[in-house]
Amino acid sequence: MTLMASSSTGDQIDWVTGLIQRARKGDQHAFERLYREFSGRVYGLCLRMTRDPGNAEDCAQEAFINAWRALDKFEIRSSFSTWLHRIAVNVVLSKRRRVSFHAEAPLESAELAQTEWSLDTPVEESEIEEAIAGLPDGARDVLVLSGIYGYSHGETAQMLGVAEGTCKAQLHRARKLLQERLNMELN
Amino acid sequence: MNTPNDNDGTKKSVRSLRELSMDIPPPRDLWPNISAEISKSAQTAGGAGKSGSRAMPSRMQWLALAAMVATLAVGMWLGRTLFPVNGASVQTPPVAIIDAPGNVINAAYLKDPRYIKQHAELVRSLEEKMKSLPPDTQKKVVASLDTIRKSIADIQAALGKDPGNALLQGLLVNSYQDEMRVLTAVHEAGDTGREI
Repeated sequence: MTLMASSSTGDQIDWVTGLIQRARKGDQHAFERLYREFSGRVYGLCLRMTRDPGNAEDCAQEAFINAWRALDKFEIRSSFSTWLHRIAVNVVLSKRRRVSFHAEAPLESAELAQTEWSLDTPVEESEIEEAIAGLPDGARDVLVLSGIYGYSHGETAQMLGVAEGTCKAQLHRARKLLQERLNMELN
Repeated sequence: MNTPNDNDGTKKSVRSLRELSMDIPPPRDLWPNISAEISKSAQTAGGAGKSGSRAMPSRMQWLALAAMVATLAVGMWLGRTLFPVNGASVQTPPVAIIDAPGNVINAAYLKDPRYIKQHAELVRSLEEKMKSLPPDTQKKVVASLDTIRKSIADIQAALGKDPGNALLQGLLVNSYQDEMRVLTAVHEAGDTGREI
């Protein structure tokens, strides 16, 4: 049973804070509880960004190792989940940079950058995941972080190390590509 | 790509991206590897990290050690040429720059016009100067520069992962200064290379 399922949000934050404080003192069991609580969210993000289960495992693993090493830097007032996501995004981007230095063409349009879209008709989860996986890296990263994980343009831009305008333009591009791939309007 | 529902055989339909699950459990438990890795770090650091006393990650320790060894080797090798007596030494940027905050350290050092100019001049003169030095001295110079440049490459790689790390930034600046000291010593050496 996860902490999330067993308690209210406030209680969960207290639980998580307690675990973080114990982990900071070197308690690996406490850190394991944190891993169990957040591994799905971290792996999910890594999988959607990398599109490769093996890569995603490596990235998620490295993200938790980096998190353990940097626990002292975590500010208790902020969201642990967001902090972990930042670390995971850094790991994925750093691995991606090692593999390729290919730069995507700059985008000029920053219109229509809403992050919550609905589909004309319901689509199978696997179908939309496949369509997302087929997006170019930059557009997919922004879509995953803002469209699925609900981060604002500012937060997404900060995590990815890009300008907010670029982030909006990438999202616009992602929306157009997704519409094409799903062959339907996104409202 | 596996989705949250792949394992239970059900096919869920969604009408919005927000309905997609944020959690996708990893196909295998990653904890054993994570646990092994953080235990290794704790052992290297001499026990589990405690708040305020968490030791440096093992890679950082290695880099610090490598930079120290490089500095020590260069220092011993240069001997008193570190403080040339003829007063005509090429000035390196001030050591105090190491205390500058955050990411500005590397940029400040590497963008210093004195550094850029002097470094370019010294590198240009190195090849010519080397021809006049005895083979043994040439070997020492090449080995020292290799050590320092490898140290710089390692530290830069580590900084790629942790760009805000002040310790790594300090080590990087030290390494660049070591390189300048070697280049300066070669530049100022006589044809016998006895000063080196």
